[in-house]
Amino acid sequence: MFLHILKYELKNSLRVKEITVWLIIFPIALGICFKIAFGSIYEKTEKFSAIPVAVVENTENAAFRQVMENIGKSDEPFLKVSFTDMDGAEKMLDNGDVEGIIVSDGKLSLTVKEKGLRETMLKSFLEQYTVREKIAMDAINTAPEKAQEVIEALTGETVSSCREIPLTQGNPDMYIQYFYNLIAMVALFGCNIGMHITIQNQADLSALGARNNCSPARKSVSILACFTGSCIMQTFCMILCVSFLAFVLKVDFGDRLYLVYPAAIMGGILGVSFGFFVGSIARVGEKTKTAILTAFALLLCFCSGLMMGDMKAVIVEKMPWFNNINPAAVISDCFYCLNIYEDYDRFVTKLITMAVTTFIFVFLGFVFSRRKKYASI
Amino acid sequence: MENTVVKIKDLVKRYGDLIALDHFSLEIKEGEIFGLLGPNGSGKTTTINCLLSLLAFDKGDIELFGKKMTPVSYDIKKDIGVIMQNVAVFEELTVYENIDYFCGLYIKDKEKRREYVEEAIKFVGLEDFRRFYPRKLSGGLLRRLNIACGIAHKPKLIILDEPTVAVDPQSRNRILEGILDLNKNGATVIYTSHYMEEVEHICTRIAIMDKGRKVAEGTKDELKRMIKNTETITIDILELPDSVLKEISGLPHVYDTKREDEKLIVCCSGGKHNLIRVLDVLQKNELGFGRVYTELPTLNDVFLEITGTALRDKED
Repeated sequence: MFLHILKYELKNSLRVKEITVWLIIFPIALGICFKIAFGSIYEKTEKFSAIPVAVVENTENAAFRQVMENIGKSDEPFLKVSFTDMDGAEKMLDNGDVEGIIVSDGKLSLTVKEKGLRETMLKSFLEQYTVREKIAMDAINTAPEKAQEVIEALTGETVSSCREIPLTQGNPDMYIQYFYNLIAMVALFGCNIGMHITIQNQADLSALGARNNCSPARKSVSILACFTGSCIMQTFCMILCVSFLAFVLKVDFGDRLYLVYPAAIMGGILGVSFGFFVGSIARVGEKTKTAILTAFALLLCFCSGLMMGDMKAVIVEKMPWFNNINPAAVISDCFYCLNIYEDYDRFVTKLITMAVTTFIFVFLGFVFSRRKKYASI
Repeated sequence: MENTVVKIKDLVKRYGDLIALDHFSLEIKEGEIFGLLGPNGSGKTTTINCLLSLLAFDKGDIELFGKKMTPVSYDIKKDIGVIMQNVAVFEELTVYENIDYFCGLYIKDKEKRREYVEEAIKFVGLEDFRRFYPRKLSGGLLRRLNIACGIAHKPKLIILDEPTVAVDPQSRNRILEGILDLNKNGATVIYTSHYMEEVEHICTRIAIMDKGRKVAEGTKDELKRMIKNTETITIDILELPDSVLKEISGLPHVYDTKREDEKLIVCCSGGKHNLIRVLDVLQKNELGFGRVYTELPTLNDVFLEITGTALRDKED
């Protein structure tokens, strides 16, 4: 009986258009939109192209030439260097082929055509080089035995005085959070499938529910089969969603992709159980129930910051308990932990929270659905 | 002696102050097609829902196949086929899959089930639509699918709750013929409707319900015998002096005469040759007349006389 109901539950779910739209097409479409939107921002703000610069050597400076040649040969060069004479350099600057001219004639000088970020970076580079060159020369003159050590230290040091210390092996850039939010939202949309379980099994909610209650199939078996089918369907949609983001849109989940899957699946099951619970607590028509559930789900998404990032901080400050029971917040927190923290403790804690919340929703759903007779139909 | 399949005793169901079923009792024997006739809101569907243990009731007892019916009487439910008033099918499953789903709730054996599903499809005439989704079916075909889902497992007791509502005449006839066939094959049938012609046509015994009460019960002939009217004579006539109308009113077995839109309506109670006697009076008074027709009482007349309201008036 269980397998028979499960088989048809899966067949039915696969053909329901709303499920296809909200759990498959919606995340794909929104994921593509995110990728297009954030992709261009990312290109502009995060990815540098090498700054073209002309170098004019009026006097020989072997150390400087070597540094410039090494920069040009690196994997992601900071500068694109062209060695030329002064006339050629000025021509290149006028044509916009280079951003600046570095002239080496005893000391280093920079000529730029206009002021901007890239020109500032050239200036900063030149200043740092000049300072380091002076330190190295002083070391050679004052303590030749330590000179090699000093030069190695200077070349190994990063340009910035601040060093980035990663907390996670994931991808901590701000845009990835939007994709996590998208997954969390799809997981919560599973509540519509969950509500369908109640509709199909409660005699006072639908003709189909009344018809099923007349059959010799035990209600608990029928509900369990429908719940299992819904979870399988939701799991399939979550795997599809994450895989599409990771492998088609090439969203960088860092080296923790294998953890995104269980988190997404658990979130999806939580969404289904939430819908099952809400569906079983009140006796109203199917359309009204769907409207209430959708509005409720969107409200929870809003409160968890899935729509407006600052909202989450407000809720955490004013009503921290609500954040712990809000399924949308629990799901997004799980991804947040995965994204931010290096250790797995918080992530596992959030996974357990989701499992416990799921259990509570399912248990209460069964309790409220256990009615065998109805006061009115 | 025939077995009692359904026994309802003193059933009371209240919705707040409204009494939906007022000490309603009923017994249905094996092999009967039992009709529950009454206007909307008379308590027919409430009775069915209580019978199926879907609806909690305030008082009374219900036994099916000699056993007390409860929500967990799975052994009893196995032998019942239910065709709900509202079509109860999955929109995303095909005709075949829908029937197979419901049949599978009763029949575990796959081979047997396949055979039963095919029989049900043939029975309701949906052979050409087995791969269709319900949304592609007309109202009549959808009702037939609803019936196929309810009877595929060959139940001993079939409950049909207004199965012909909003159905075209062709499908309606097919459904009614199907019910007679099911009964011939041994099924006991409970049929609720507010269409008296249907009930009169197929039911072996009928209970008339009004305001949650059973107002009459019996075969259609027994019910008709319960009322005064046995024959209604209608004659198209232009002129009818009061003296002639008085003479007709005084004829034996005539208990009521009316003039309505150039029509003379004569209601008779018992007796033979009532029409000849009325026509004799008209001829004797040299009065010309047009169309003449006579009607035997209908269940509507029964309902009208018992409740004081016509069944169709109640529908309005």
